Amino acid sequence: MAILRKDLIRELRTREMLISMILFVLLAMVIFHYAFTVKEGADLTYFTGGMLWVTFIFAMLLGLNRSFAQEKDERCLDGLLLCPVDRVIIFLAKTAGNLIFLLLIQVVAVPVFTLFFVERSYVGDLLPFLVVLLLADVGICALGTLLATISMNTRSRDLLLPIIFLPLIVPVLIAATGATTLIFAEGAGFGGLLARVLFLLGFDAVFVVAAYGTYDFAIGE
Amino acid sequence: MKQLVSAPALFVGAGICLVGGLLLAFLYAPVDASSMGFSQKIFYYHVPIAETALVAFGIAFVAAIAYLRTQNLKWDRLGVVCVRLGLLFSLLVMITGMIWGKAAWDVWWAWEPRLTTFLLVCFLYIAYLVLRSVVEEEQRRATYAAVFAIIAFIDVPITFFATRFLPEGLHPVVITAGGTGMEGSMLVGFLISMLGMTLLLVALIRRDLAVEDLKDRVADLKHSIGG
Repeated sequence: MAILRKDLIRELRTREMLISMILFVLLAMVIFHYAFTVKEGADLTYFTGGMLWVTFIFAMLLGLNRSFAQEKDERCLDGLLLCPVDRVIIFLAKTAGNLIFLLLIQVVAVPVFTLFFVERSYVGDLLPFLVVLLLADVGICALGTLLATISMNTRSRDLLLPIIFLPLIVPVLIAATGATTLIFAEGAGFGGLLARVLFLLGFDAVFVVAAYGTYDFAIGE
Repeated sequence: MKQLVSAPALFVGAGICLVGGLLLAFLYAPVDASSMGFSQKIFYYHVPIAETALVAFGIAFVAAIAYLRTQNLKWDRLGVVCVRLGLLFSLLVMITGMIWGKAAWDVWWAWEPRLTTFLLVCFLYIAYLVLRSVVEEEQRRATYAAVFAIIAFIDVPITFFATRFLPEGLHPVVITAGGTGMEGSMLVGFLISMLGMTLLLVALIRRDLAVEDLKDRVADLKHSIGG
């Protein structure tokens, strides 16, 4: 809990990360707009889910690198490791910190992307949408935190993270994009959506457990 | 296990099975009755290669767990050897799969569950090798590699399942819950090829482990003469 508080306070004091992340999201939106508007007045509703998740995953990559670079650069991690707490607590705190960070990005990104791209109201499906968002976020953060811990201890650090993170996160991308597109473009058809939600739930369960079991080794001595 | 069968015997056994499977496939087994026809013959190699690749990654997974439990570097070595060979077999799966795809569906590549999964598997295990290359300290490299091998192997079936959410694919479903859907005459050649491929994997793993041992001895010798 204290670790989480420390990260949050630090972030609130400097605000550097959050502001650049929000700018990153807005810029991504502009880039996507130019990249996908293939003809005058094209309807991008079907692409919005994909754009959102690509943006979130890349934003998360940047965020993960930073959240551990700070620890490493100022040798804070050594201090953390000396604390008389279970290493797994560090994992949970870091994951929670990254999750809050991702949610903050989404609070900005989702309304903006919706406003600019989605040509259909999905207010009625807001609840399933939030469920999908939260489930996918947990998976991304748990896996991302574990892999960032490994990559920050290697020689190439932030270069390595995307190489090991992206192939592993593809299942989440497929399921989350599919579910989000269903909600944005067609309204939540119960069958197709439920399968994806259950899948995301399963992914979270498996990887939180796997990360929980291996984190002790990943964080090293 | 080491002295049970000699390495050359394994290679010879694998060779006999693979050639035998090939002969059976072309001379004994009937031409497939479905739309795939003659191109189905590649199936006798394609599928055994695929299963062998998965077996190699499975061994790497077990070795990773064993390493984390024992901290014995011999498990790490087994892991990296298996990943390397698994990657080789995966590339062969993709190549044979593409040849088959071209013959059967007239496309080199289709974004369908199995092909896509194997593509991701290749990326995953290439990442494993990249990860190893950027950690110098031996113990630490082994630990990270083991953690990643565990996570990667868990991800494979999940990815396969996720790709089912994508629009429908072309890949024939051969082995279903109801049985293999193969005639006996086809099954013989198939099983022999499978056995041959597995023997080949075991033989290659043993040879690679021996090579790694030799490397170590060379390094030790160099060290001892002050090189």
